[in-house]
Amino acid sequence: MGESYRFPLPVVDGLRLDKPLRDALMPGRYVHDDDGYTRKLPRYFYEVPSWEHAMNIQLTPGFALWEFIQSDVRETAVLRGFPRYVPCAITMVALCLERFRDAVGTYVHIAANGGYRSPRHALNSNATPHSWGTAVNIYRIGDTFLDDREAIERYAALARQTLAGVWTRPFGSGRGQTDDHLHLDFGYVLAMPRGAPEEHLGFDAERRAS
Amino acid sequence: MSTPLLHPGVRPPGPDALDALHSRLDALERRAGARAIAVAVYDTATHAHFRRHAERWFHAASTIKVAMLLGVYSAIHHGWLMPHSRLHVRNRFFSAVDGQTFRVLADRDANSDVHEAIGRMMRISDLALHMIATSSNLATNLLLDLVGIETVQRALDELHIDGIDIRRGVEDERAFERGINNRVTADGLVQLLRLVAEERAFSPELSREMLGILHAQEFRNGIPARLPPAVRVAHKTGEISTVAHDAGVVYPPGRKPYVIAVLTEWEPEAAGRSATIAEVSHAVYELLTGETTPEPARETVNG
Repeated sequence: MGESYRFPLPVVDGLRLDKPLRDALMPGRYVHDDDGYTRKLPRYFYEVPSWEHAMNIQLTPGFALWEFIQSDVRETAVLRGFPRYVPCAITMVALCLERFRDAVGTYVHIAANGGYRSPRHALNSNATPHSWGTAVNIYRIGDTFLDDREAIERYAALARQTLAGVWTRPFGSGRGQTDDHLHLDFGYVLAMPRGAPEEHLGFDAERRAS
Repeated sequence: MSTPLLHPGVRPPGPDALDALHSRLDALERRAGARAIAVAVYDTATHAHFRRHAERWFHAASTIKVAMLLGVYSAIHHGWLMPHSRLHVRNRFFSAVDGQTFRVLADRDANSDVHEAIGRMMRISDLALHMIATSSNLATNLLLDLVGIETVQRALDELHIDGIDIRRGVEDERAFERGINNRVTADGLVQLLRLVAEERAFSPELSREMLGILHAQEFRNGIPARLPPAVRVAHKTGEISTVAHDAGVVYPPGRKPYVIAVLTEWEPEAAGRSATIAEVSHAVYELLTGETTPEPARETVNG
């Protein structure tokens, strides 16, 4: 075995959490996106014991865990405390952002409510990759605030050049558009790291059987 | 003016004194060139009232933020929010006219602290403080966006406050151009502030928290400007091109407080607005306390 580093957070099966947390995280549940497609929500999460842990865990040299879990009063109450849960895909998104950070050559700032948001977050209407931990809203790069067309479109183009498969929300003030941040997302990616609890006759099997 | 004597050593002003104040304000209105001066006073020591055009509606300017403060504390009272709850600071709001987005321009806002926090989070209690103490328009719209106009209106209704008409956030130029504005009367503001001063707004604890925020007011060129330095005032100012207001609770030393609202309307280029409010405040102070005070010697801050 070549294991030399163990990620310091346990992976938990959301279906085994207490009911208030299951109701908030909706692990493995199906929801509709803006286009009417059905998407399966993450079932496996990293358990973050405290804000101090989130502050101290560097996912990459440029991004710490806390940057992905800043949610405000619009997040459902049970998920504003600790332990807190974040989908396992978050580590891979951090790697992608690190690559983007290298491309821009300066700090990349993720907005509050701009990382993971549970399906119950009040800002969500339909399914959003924020609930998969695979989308970020970037409000500032270096000293540049991304609050006009020029800045947003310039960095969106750079993201698309740098990150294969990334989707950027178009500039604008209408529904599905953005005018005060750069939205990057990698779609509805489900991650199950080694060490995740085994998936027995879980949600999927039960769903198929029903 | 009612006249019961309920606080030892404090007597309500008699009819002659009230008539004299009316005459003094009539003269001040002419001399200052104001389109209108409205005044409402309620004295918690004697339960005496004074009213001058107190039911006249004015554009609320930033005095509407007192109603928004009430709405925020209503949400806290009902358990929907906690003072330490955190809110994403985002400068993006929707016009009351058509839902188009607009922003609060930093150079039109008296407070830079909230603008510097864009993208991050601030506590509800800190935003409420900025909304009142430095009249932050960004903090105001963030809080209103969170709790909703309906919550503010419901709080006013629950407390049986009339004379405050909330229609939108601040800096909504499209709404302003269409005449969709927040409005207040002097009576309405006094009703609201009286409940807070008497610790009857939701609970004594929450009322005291609101009073603490109003005491932190940094723009002191209105009601407090010509009062003795020992007099504490918890208040909120408001000013746009054609109106200048101040409304608050005045605490003379050794005496129960009184509540006062002074609303004024002007030609856009008129000067002397704050000085006029200060003079009204001074006249009311003399009426209620019987003290005559010297001409102002304290420094004032614009806002």
